[in-house]
Amino acid sequence: MKYPDLSFEPFFTWSNRPRVMYKAGVREELGFEMEKLGGTKAVLYTDKGLVDVGVAQMVIDTIKASSLELVGVFDKIVQDARLDLINEGAAFYRKCGANCMVVVGGGSVMDTAKAINILIGGGLDDFTPLAEQVGLFDGAKPLPPHIAFPTTAGTGAEVTYAMVVLNDIAHAKIAVAHPYCNPDIAMLDPELTVKLPPKITAFTAMDALTHAIEAITTVSANPISDGLGLHAVRLITKYLPEAVKNPGNVEARGYLMIASTMAGMSFINAFTGGVHATGHALGAIYHVPHGMAMNIMLPHLMAYNLGEKPERFAMIADAMGVKIDGMTTEQAAQAAVQAVKDLQKAVGLTQTLKDFGVPAGREALNPLIDLAMGDSQLPYNPRELQEDDVYNLYLKAR
Amino acid sequence: MKYWKDEAEAVKAFVSLWEACAKEQELIDGMKKVNQLIWFDYTESGPNCSFNVDSRDGKFIVTAGKPAENPNLTMSLTADNAHLSWANKLNPVMAITRGQIKVKGSATGLLKLAPKLKKVALIYEQVLKDLGMEDKLKM
Repeated sequence: MKYPDLSFEPFFTWSNRPRVMYKAGVREELGFEMEKLGGTKAVLYTDKGLVDVGVAQMVIDTIKASSLELVGVFDKIVQDARLDLINEGAAFYRKCGANCMVVVGGGSVMDTAKAINILIGGGLDDFTPLAEQVGLFDGAKPLPPHIAFPTTAGTGAEVTYAMVVLNDIAHAKIAVAHPYCNPDIAMLDPELTVKLPPKITAFTAMDALTHAIEAITTVSANPISDGLGLHAVRLITKYLPEAVKNPGNVEARGYLMIASTMAGMSFINAFTGGVHATGHALGAIYHVPHGMAMNIMLPHLMAYNLGEKPERFAMIADAMGVKIDGMTTEQAAQAAVQAVKDLQKAVGLTQTLKDFGVPAGREALNPLIDLAMGDSQLPYNPRELQEDDVYNLYLKAR
Repeated sequence: MKYWKDEAEAVKAFVSLWEACAKEQELIDGMKKVNQLIWFDYTESGPNCSFNVDSRDGKFIVTAGKPAENPNLTMSLTADNAHLSWANKLNPVMAITRGQIKVKGSATGLLKLAPKLKKVALIYEQVLKDLGMEDKLKM
């Protein structure tokens, strides 16, 4: 395939703060690295599911074998970063006398921990007013030592400087950004993901694929995000079916983790678009897991956006292994949508919004549309979205 | 300032823009949902360089200067960046991350108007022309 001319905004910035370490078993480096960061007394943040399957214990064992002291385990984190648990998690850190955090979990755990560390670093008790402020850049300072182990290959939250917080009272998911909220080190240890059930493996990876595809096609795409995003697409397409088929394949798991991190770096700098805007609303109101919401909305938004940036969608088709030589750019772009659908089918993701109780009537969907229209990522969609467009997309995804 | 001869000129353009916005039903409906007293604080470019919009309880009142009451939301930036912002030439997320826009208070309501920025930019272009400030459109 001849590389097309890809335009980008004449001015962009790139942020790449966290150090990334990768190895099957890299958790054994935790004590050494935390010591260098100055952490001596750690609270481990995780969720009950990871405690039950022994994944949290795999990290606890390495802490116990190191000079690092484990002063508490906070395993109450549930789906989505919730304001009440953020505040409780910060109180727990102080009660335990901790001076650093180790985070083991998926996006909800990592985002909750980011918000907790902001409270700790700022000497604050309540995250509610900070969440409403959306951007916490003014006067932001580095936070206490923080090392994270992602246990899904999906959100990229281990490298992003933002967190998505659920305000359960307002039924809204809000993206909040802080320049130092991401961990000092993201440790990618694929051994921590082998117990992830195939279905969750599949839809969390579709979240990563969405990050990559939206970053490549957003209005803020740039050559660095293109490079990371396109290779993430290649890796996910190649290794997701294998990881779903053989969950114990550490090599496939490892490539998925790397892809997820690359996609995270890509989208936090280039932003996302309509899939995230419509998906955040689905999570806030119908509690559709984030990755599943992304998975369901992705092909519909791709089809909607094709005409705006066909050359970029053609690149995605190429990265997904479609033989696009001989196709027109428009045909190749269309093939990208089909390639995503084929991948979904191959990994058993067949759900629609109907399966999550999302109704069809306009009036019933209005709260969802209203939230999506106010989402911070909507303006970055390559094609303008109005209320009627969002409504039609939700209908198509039912 | 790069785009303005003085703060009075900038405030005149911004207040005129918002007065024009207050005549557009789509934006009236949008601001009703925002339901806040917002201070657009451009005082970094001059002590009187600011205006406020009161959209509480269905109102849509635009006034030059700092509001008498405490605002629910303060957006602080320079008058030049405000110009780029209203012309839809400033990436708001990037501007926040670079500290070009400082936000104090709840911005979630105003974010809902982000998709309307293209329309606001068109109104702004017309307002500048009506005020004889076409030269500002060269960015």
